Amino acid sequence: MTGYAGDTVASALYGAGVRIFGRSLKYHRPRGLYSMEGESANTFMSIDGVPNECAETTELRAGMAVAPQNVHGDPRSDRFGFLSAFDRLMPAGFYYHLFHRPQFLWPVFQSGLRRMAGTGVLDPLREYGGGVRSERYLNADVAVVGGGSAGMAAALAAGESGLRVCLFERRDRLGGHLAWRVRELEGEPLYRRAEALAAQVQAAENVKVFTSSPAIGVWGENLVTGFTVGTEDDPFRECHWECRARTVVIAAGCMDRPLVFNHNDRPGVMQVGTAWRLARSYGVRPGKSVAFSVADDLGLEAAIDLDDLGVRVRFIADARESGQQGAAVFEALCDRAIPLFPGCAVSRAVGRKRVRGCVLRSLKGGRSRRFRCDLLVANAGMQPRIGTLATANARFEYCTHTHGYQPTDLPPGVFVAGSMTGLRDPRSIEASGRVAGYGAAERCGGRPGNVARAGNRVMGEGQSGSPGRGSVSPSRASRAVEAARQEAKALPGPPPGCGVIHAPAIGRGAKAFVDLDEDGTYKNVKESIARGLDVPELAKRFAGFGLGPGQYRVAGQNLAMIMADLRGDPVEKARATTVRPPLAAPSIATLAGPGHDVHKRTPLHAEQAARGAVFRRAGPWQRARHFGDDPSCRDEILSVRTNVGVLDSSPLGKFRIHGPDALQALQRVYISDMSKARPGYCKYSAMCNDMGQLMDDGVVVIEGRNDYYFTTSSARAGATVEWFRFHTRHDGWDYNLVNLTDVLGSLNIAGPNARRVLERLTGDNVSNEAFPYLACRRITVGDGVEARCLRLGFVGELSFELHAPASCVPYLWDLVMEAGADFGIRPFGLEAQNCLRAEKGHVIIGTESEQRVTLTDIGMGWMWDREDTVSKKVGAPALRACVGQTGRLKLVGLRVEEGAKAPLDGTLVVDGDKIVGYVCTTRSSETLGWQYGLALVHKEHAFPGRRIHLCHEETPGERVTSTAFVMSPHFYDPRGQRLRR
Amino acid sequence: MTFRLTCPVCGKRDVYEFTFGGQERGPRPEQEGLSAEEHFRWTQFRLIPNEPQEEWWYHGQGCGVWFKAKRDPGTNREMR
Repeated sequence: MTGYAGDTVASALYGAGVRIFGRSLKYHRPRGLYSMEGESANTFMSIDGVPNECAETTELRAGMAVAPQNVHGDPRSDRFGFLSAFDRLMPAGFYYHLFHRPQFLWPVFQSGLRRMAGTGVLDPLREYGGGVRSERYLNADVAVVGGGSAGMAAALAAGESGLRVCLFERRDRLGGHLAWRVRELEGEPLYRRAEALAAQVQAAENVKVFTSSPAIGVWGENLVTGFTVGTEDDPFRECHWECRARTVVIAAGCMDRPLVFNHNDRPGVMQVGTAWRLARSYGVRPGKSVAFSVADDLGLEAAIDLDDLGVRVRFIADARESGQQGAAVFEALCDRAIPLFPGCAVSRAVGRKRVRGCVLRSLKGGRSRRFRCDLLVANAGMQPRIGTLATANARFEYCTHTHGYQPTDLPPGVFVAGSMTGLRDPRSIEASGRVAGYGAAERCGGRPGNVARAGNRVMGEGQSGSPGRGSVSPSRASRAVEAARQEAKALPGPPPGCGVIHAPAIGRGAKAFVDLDEDGTYKNVKESIARGLDVPELAKRFAGFGLGPGQYRVAGQNLAMIMADLRGDPVEKARATTVRPPLAAPSIATLAGPGHDVHKRTPLHAEQAARGAVFRRAGPWQRARHFGDDPSCRDEILSVRTNVGVLDSSPLGKFRIHGPDALQALQRVYISDMSKARPGYCKYSAMCNDMGQLMDDGVVVIEGRNDYYFTTSSARAGATVEWFRFHTRHDGWDYNLVNLTDVLGSLNIAGPNARRVLERLTGDNVSNEAFPYLACRRITVGDGVEARCLRLGFVGELSFELHAPASCVPYLWDLVMEAGADFGIRPFGLEAQNCLRAEKGHVIIGTESEQRVTLTDIGMGWMWDREDTVSKKVGAPALRACVGQTGRLKLVGLRVEEGAKAPLDGTLVVDGDKIVGYVCTTRSSETLGWQYGLALVHKEHAFPGRRIHLCHEETPGERVTSTAFVMSPHFYDPRGQRLRR
Repeated sequence: MTFRLTCPVCGKRDVYEFTFGGQERGPRPEQEGLSAEEHFRWTQFRLIPNEPQEEWWYHGQGCGVWFKAKRDPGTNREMR
């Protein structure tokens, strides 16, 4: 198959003679090209293996693989085509009440239904969503949705005062429905007018035009979102954009309101615009002999134009009795000998796999007449595309003059223009755009009617500036708007629309579709009402009208009108169903975005990489998990236990707090009495939340008067400032908090030989007497690098933590490695640290703590200053409330029985059939010589010597239990002697 | 859902830049003699009014200030 540049997949297929594009969802009826903009899902296809691609809007590219969907065999002779005859077995909502009994048969029915119905099929082994998915964040004063003549006029009018304007157009070119109309107006064909406007818009410096860019919706405070489909020249395949606009002009235009008649889904029945665009935009002859059943002047114009192009128009049925454009049209029809039947409509399409003829009837009933034709262009007039407005939260009412939904109240800053307001005269449409554009500009404080100095404002993507853009002379501004309004008023207003609800002689044993996508028929509407689901919102859910891809589009207005009619209500009571976004669907990959992996590297990244570090993501950081290819880290652990190791601990949170109220702030968030911090020593403490759960732990060091340095866990570093300020927000305290996490790097020298390594780096006295456990001193290392040195013991060995400016840390690392070479120093990573600290019984927040446990439950209650009620410590009241409570979880150590099955992190602790806890961390310890674990278990099991059962379930239903004994979690060096040597 | 908030330092910014800090429910209660019920009422209980309320917001992706805003949760509009 071949196509031309600018062809869509659908137009190329039609041009190649394809008439049946797929099979319908439920009845497997043949379906053809009905719409041109994806209004119906008839032409959803699998393109290059991606299902549910809309052939009508997908640009044709060389080498595409296009396959039909929901087809069993060939679309021309589908195996399930017979289903259409069994529709009595498939009434509205049949899947809700049939097949469910007997229950054991439901899975059988379900898989059968799934196979027969539905749309595309995903290949579970394939990775979808290739190509570059990019994103853009735009800021505009005025966003215009719709690039027809109204949208373009609005963009130009708004742009006159130098405001920043973004114009979004779904199609790949501007012009709307003028783009294919050759009718002359004021001596110029309409498409020329569209081209002239497009050229002006493209040339305007402060108007940015986005084509192939459908909007997904308009959200709170005028955030317009959508996406751009890239052409072959674009650096992306799809680009998701969000445009924060101060005002929005919506000029989304109209679409055909389908005429509901018998067999209105046959291939060969199409919208006015479809036939017209095939001929005018794509140069494809839509058919040889065509019947028109329309209800507005645009339909008449299309018929005349197609006739001029050599398509024989058999007749035009106009559902209106009167109101046609007048003498000129009748004359044109007379010249071409096209019969016009006012007050008539097509009541039935003849032919099964394609249209071979049609039956014409008066809307008042009476005799019918049959015609031969191979194309049937049918609609019941036009309906406004209200989707964009609906997502912006506008309310609608049915207008009995235009016979379409019109907004009753617009959200602030939202303006409407163009044919969606019911206007039909091209001059009026353009003028309405101008009025809306000026209105939007005026609201932004622009000066409508004042042509901007060139280069006044340049498009950019920064946040839009402060509100109120200079002084505006109101009289001058409104004068231009008033002039535009007067001009618009002098032009023809909206002509009366057509309120025909459906074609005559509907039903009678034949299917008349209200919704093509979900195979919802007129009969289904009746059934829905009979079952009491008698309003559109209920029928939508029950029988599927306007669900899925068809949100509002084909079924929307018709469903509401038909239901009102069947219930005997006047048509103005017809309530449309809510339009659900997205109005146009980008691929999930596009919404997911480009997937950048934004992370931080520690100052020692390169040094560690050179030593074979395996990096893993830990919070925002890439951290060394282990060195070399042994994930069990046996050598790294042994080196810390028996010799010396070094850890890059730079992601540790590091802060300074100073100011007169610094101590008060510390007292508020830390659970201990922070006034007891001693100069030159670390005060270890923890932060809780209001539920008494452990949030963070670290040390606080006095730096000077009202001046403290403190550390937090790596995971909490990012939230610490927020936390302090939140919990002191009512107090008005005077303190400053500085996050030094990224400014300072740190490394931890740990192991029995740690002091001997440190001694080689510094002239300061680091002996046990001068520099005891928990001391914090400033020492000078190497060639004069001043570092904070903290003697701590997270891993359970003698260890010194050096905190120094990030730029100096690589130098320190080299010094340590050099000085430690004689001892055989080894770097160790996070996994080794995790094992080392677990052997020591030190908790990691979120691993050994969780929502159900408080500080006291995990054995850290000794920190809590119970006497203090003055500083209103965060978490203290909750801890108080939990004292003596039964049924709580407690942190315990486990020793797994020799030879028993080894548990995993997360293995359940059971008592008979009852779950009584779980294992948080468990390892087989080289140091201890047995398998240990830290577990949270119910209090009644949490005493040393208790025998408990671990439940392993590797395959569902197959359980194995093993035994372990409860003990203190401080497995290794429980009295902490090694830390104090 | 999207709207904008006025940060007292940075001006009008997208809500994506802020973290919600809950309704204003007054300062932390005095702890002397505070019952568990009173404490949990203050920390856990929320009213769900369909009218403008005072709220705390944190400009985390900006200047890092906590501020009070008056907002109508029914319309997401900020009141000035």
